[in-house]
Amino acid sequence: MTQASGTTAYSTPRNTASPEPVEQLVEDLFRREAGRMVSTLTRVFGVEHMDLAEDVVQETLLKALQQWRFKGVPENPSGWLFRVSKNHALDILRRRATLGRKQGEIAHSEERRQAETAEEQFAVSENQIEDDQLRMMFTCCHPALSRESQVSLTLKTLGGLSVPEIARAFLSDERAVAQRLVRAKRTLREQGVEFVVPEGDLFEGRLDAVLQVLYLLFNEGYAVSAGENLIRAELCREAIDLVELLARHPRGDAPRTHALAALMLLQASRLPARVDGHGDLLLLADQDRKLWNRSMIHRGFAHLELAAQGEVVSEYHLEAGIAACHACAPDYESTDWPAVLDAYDSLARLNGSPVIAINRAVAYSRVHGPAAGIGELDKLRGEPRLADYYLLWSSLGALHAEAGNGEQAGAFYHEALKHVGSEPERRFLSRKLKEMEAPTGP
Amino acid sequence: LIERRTTMPKYMLLLHGGESPDYSPQEMQRIVEEYIAWARRLRTEGHMLDGDELGEGGKMLRGTGAALTVTDGPFTETKEAIGGYFLIEAADEAQAVEISKECPGLRRGGAVQLRPIVEH
Repeated sequence: MTQASGTTAYSTPRNTASPEPVEQLVEDLFRREAGRMVSTLTRVFGVEHMDLAEDVVQETLLKALQQWRFKGVPENPSGWLFRVSKNHALDILRRRATLGRKQGEIAHSEERRQAETAEEQFAVSENQIEDDQLRMMFTCCHPALSRESQVSLTLKTLGGLSVPEIARAFLSDERAVAQRLVRAKRTLREQGVEFVVPEGDLFEGRLDAVLQVLYLLFNEGYAVSAGENLIRAELCREAIDLVELLARHPRGDAPRTHALAALMLLQASRLPARVDGHGDLLLLADQDRKLWNRSMIHRGFAHLELAAQGEVVSEYHLEAGIAACHACAPDYESTDWPAVLDAYDSLARLNGSPVIAINRAVAYSRVHGPAAGIGELDKLRGEPRLADYYLLWSSLGALHAEAGNGEQAGAFYHEALKHVGSEPERRFLSRKLKEMEAPTGP
Repeated sequence: LIERRTTMPKYMLLLHGGESPDYSPQEMQRIVEEYIAWARRLRTEGHMLDGDELGEGGKMLRGTGAALTVTDGPFTETKEAIGGYFLIEAADEAQAVEISKECPGLRRGGAVQLRPIVEH
């Protein structure tokens, strides 16, 4: 019976026999699959052959591009990609083994063994792919690498970003990024770094490094995910993907991992409301909260609950707590500002970053009034690390405007404009200045 | 297959090159999506008949019997090579040109060679 019905399904009356093609690719599919494939291939080839793993993935994706544009997307695109990359990798391993046999070198016995067991090494489940990604995370964040290299390598391998994309995301030079990646891979090779998630005591410290890299990645994306630089929204999505992967893995499932996941999701939930119709930045106070991504907020709160199960309160906990205060406030005015200020006070004790001090001062102004906030910000004006930081000056501008000191507000906005980094930020400040200078009506 | 839906003339679109091996995964996905959208429109408008990728390499045969030669190739520069084809139906050549103009490959330095299928 099943046989018969199967046959009828295929004998459609018209000559348009081909099944309806897949019409839509999942967002970031190529990028994500690249990260998964590179991870599994690096396990099979070894860390020292990470380049080869990357080449195989690139060729696989090119093959998909060439074929799919004519034939349409296959029913299971991820399965297709995995199968093609696997076959390509097996070819390479067999070729290497044959070459080794011909040269009769004992050194090639390792390669022969690899080729023989390769087939089963690829018999992987979804869980094992996630294991591979986790190993890749810890490999990319190896302490032998600088923080910059850790971030770049994570983006390149797990994030599936190209060198020009990484360069654009960090406003740096393509050649510098390429060189950094080459050096990082060489270091991993020379140090004989293994493709593992570290065990025991080593794990805790290494987890912190991974979390820091993901945090940095997210912040870099979040800082200016508006306007020209769309790649930055991808950084946020990638950081969230990776932190959630870490959080659902038995080894990474720590309260501070959940805190970081909560922080990212609650922050990112606001991304759709951060720009207006012209691509201009909107402050928290001016955002249409109906645009906030509810499902991200729900996921964020779920992580926050899991984050509360530990003893230690990390910086991620505090920042997530602040984001949560915003997420549950129906509007800017009814935000629980005393709770926000509380969290910033604790954060300032843990982390002397002047940027946190600015945010604390703003929260202070919500609780104690703009004049008090200005007082707090004035204390930071001598801080050399902040001299070039436009948010100090624009915050002073905003509080002076609120306090009715138009002239000073204008002066501070002008100062802020001198230090602004991105085009949307520049437009935002120019708009504020225009508002200041426009007559305030009858 | 004997029953033909329409009597519109057919055209072959041969797609030459234009794809770079250095695309990022995200760029490659975007290109695939452009083709999907283009092909979908052609299908809904009833123009699309078929399409497929053509592999690299292949053989060139000349002569017959003892004089037969089989050589590799033709080797063309990658940016000139034909990567695949679409078979479409259009009211006339002008419409076929209009359809081809929208081919996503043109946006990246590729070329479309449009050839009418001769009906007898």
